[in-house]
Amino acid sequence: MRWLAGGVTLSLVGLLLFASLSLPPGSEAPDLEAIAGRYGVRNAVAAVVLGARLWDTLLEVLVFAMAMVGVRIALRPLSKAQEPPPVPESHLLSQAADLLIGPIAVFALYLAASGHLGPGGGFPAGAILGSGLLLLALAQGTERLARNIHERGLERLEYGVVALLISGGMGAALVGSPGSPWLITANLLIGLEVGIGAWVVLHRFVAHRGEL
Amino acid sequence: MDGQIAMVLSVLLAGLGLFTLIVRKELIFKLLGLNVASGGASLFLVAVARRAGPGVPIIGLGPAPAADPLPQALVLTAIVIHFATLALALVYVIFLTEHRHTQDVRHLERLEEE
Amino acid sequence: MNAALLGVAAYLALGVLGFLGRGWLAGVLALAVGAGALIVWCPGFPESTLGPGPWGIRLIGDTVALGFWSLALVLHAAVLWEEQRRRGAFHPLLTLLVGTTLALVLSRDLFNLYVCLELTSLLSFLLVGYEGRPTSVWASLQYLILTTVGMILYLFGLGLVYGRLGTLALSEIGSLVGKGDPVVSIGAGLLLSGAAVKGGVFLLGLWLPRAHGRAPHSVSALLSGLVVKMGIVALLRLGEAFSAGPVLVALGVLTGFGGLVYALWEQDLKYFLAYSTMSQLGYMLIGFGLFGAYGGLLYALAHGLFKGLLFLSAGKAIVQAGLRRIGELGGRLSWGPAMGLAVGTWAIAGLPPLAGFAAKGVLGAALPAWGKWLLLALGVGTVTSFAKLVPLLRPRGGRLQLAGEIPLVLALFALSIWSLISHPFLLDPYLWGQSVFALLAGLLLFSLTRRLHPRLPQLTLDRTALTLLLGSVGITLGLLIL
Repeated sequence: MRWLAGGVTLSLVGLLLFASLSLPPGSEAPDLEAIAGRYGVRNAVAAVVLGARLWDTLLEVLVFAMAMVGVRIALRPLSKAQEPPPVPESHLLSQAADLLIGPIAVFALYLAASGHLGPGGGFPAGAILGSGLLLLALAQGTERLARNIHERGLERLEYGVVALLISGGMGAALVGSPGSPWLITANLLIGLEVGIGAWVVLHRFVAHRGEL
Repeated sequence: MDGQIAMVLSVLLAGLGLFTLIVRKELIFKLLGLNVASGGASLFLVAVARRAGPGVPIIGLGPAPAADPLPQALVLTAIVIHFATLALALVYVIFLTEHRHTQDVRHLERLEEE
Repeated sequence: MNAALLGVAAYLALGVLGFLGRGWLAGVLALAVGAGALIVWCPGFPESTLGPGPWGIRLIGDTVALGFWSLALVLHAAVLWEEQRRRGAFHPLLTLLVGTTLALVLSRDLFNLYVCLELTSLLSFLLVGYEGRPTSVWASLQYLILTTVGMILYLFGLGLVYGRLGTLALSEIGSLVGKGDPVVSIGAGLLLSGAAVKGGVFLLGLWLPRAHGRAPHSVSALLSGLVVKMGIVALLRLGEAFSAGPVLVALGVLTGFGGLVYALWEQDLKYFLAYSTMSQLGYMLIGFGLFGAYGGLLYALAHGLFKGLLFLSAGKAIVQAGLRRIGELGGRLSWGPAMGLAVGTWAIAGLPPLAGFAAKGVLGAALPAWGKWLLLALGVGTVTSFAKLVPLLRPRGGRLQLAGEIPLVLALFALSIWSLISHPFLLDPYLWGQSVFALLAGLLLFSLTRRLHPRLPQLTLDRTALTLLLGSVGITLGLLIL
């Protein structure tokens, strides 16, 4: 079995290597002005993600929301940890977390808001926000943090944001070239959505495990 | 050498990941193999983008010629999709481990036949 | 085009909002908006681009899209009617799944197809394991792992094709592809492999029997009726762009007979129907491979309807009788499931005047001689495999309670009448005689083979993953040779 698997995988790898190395080198440089200029932004990737291929991005936002939904409904029937996760007794950790969450949140906001001008955008912003929340959870304990940020309400907000993105996005796509206000708004909304989703997913896993 | 090393590496990663997926018996290692293979696929697309040039596809940054922004946008989407897939697969693996008390696929298959 | 896209957007947005509560209501609203959108864009629209210039996403509203929109809406209506009491995430997930299929059939873009396929995988995955039974969860996990592997291969293929041709639009690829370019052939092989995994093709999609067999009953109906066809549609779109018709035909023959072999001896009712789906996919692939879009469309739509009906009735039968083995179900069904199974079996056996007969007839008429014999063999085999359901068709009395079957049966009759009217050659008594012959031959074959119990190889996760890779290598080599 092992041999067969190795053989088949090697043939596949061989075919792929042959094909990739036979690719004729370098195509014409893309006309960045054409794509980014159409939307009035400087980041061509953002112009592609939120402009030209907006429909794909909307579906991707939906995929991410489904991860949140799936983790929630699939982990619910399982035996949760008996006691709530213990709050670590580390002064250093809670001080550091309290100090850092501010800059982390601001940085995430900056990334989302400036995604059309430089590298960044909604998705990494959301990931950073979610990780920042996890840091806070290390200090405060996940359950207390979940209560403090009104997690139930945030989940419902998430659905609203996704629905808004889908309808607004479809509208923007059908209109044509909506320009940088749309890109900024979309980036911010996506950052919010990914941040909430990432936090919920992390929280569910931690709560199930019982400790951090 | 414009990204060809990355292409070769990505194919090898994918091969390694897929091989692990088939050969290892424990579910968690299969998921790890899947994770590595997804990384390989994403890297492949980024390497394809690199072929157009070494620069950053942002106006005003980096040397011209710039890399192709389209595959980079595709990779963004692909990474999110793979993240969601792996998170959900992991959840079901946790579920199965709790209910069947095993991660070995042979045991899981045998339990199916009853 | 705008109407179609707004319809899809409404479906998805309403589906998401359904998570906030009242999911069933959101589903009904989505269905209404979707039907309205369909009426608006009904004449179809030519290939258009969503987004600027060469970077945008190509969409098309052709007959294939129209047909599958109708099928999707009918199936959604059936499930909505059937599952009025479900709460929680069930209906929102279902609505999103239907919405995604609506999006997929409009697509003529390599990457858009990828995202839609992945989204349907995730949603199906959640629905198959929805009731939280370990066997369903295991089946679902196997499904997710295999489709993800397939999609990884798809991404590599996409990278190769884009790197070589510089575009993601299928119509442009179609005109740019030159004969004998190995890079494009390998890329196309990988793309087709990924789509084939999703489409439940015999070697690559062996997750199908378990996933469809172990899902909640109405989910199985939707999966076999609609979702699996999404992989087939992807294969169609890709096949047209890369001139891979012969590959599709080969896959069709393989899937038709491979699924049939397993179906002949399967005793679990739902697994049996799932294997039958796999076998029937063969018809569609042969049709699409030889004649492009119109070749397998009628069959795909007819199958969606009668397989949906079969799964719904089978589900009710299993719930009523409390068991799943075909041998033990005889005489335990009430009128509803028995009639549903009877109508579905009549249709799938290709007996006139139902749509199954029309679909087989239309397909067979255009085939060369060897194709007609092949189809006849498959038809006889199908009858043989379904013959074991005959004892179940004898109802034990009880009230007639129909729900989701009603839209399906109505749509099936409508499709049957329409196809007979638009293809008058089907009224030829020779064809009718041929299907009766197939019926008798199948029953005879059944009585001869019913004592046999061959041991077929088990479809474990490792083996199915291996056959997946094997199949993809095969497809790629096949394309290189052509």
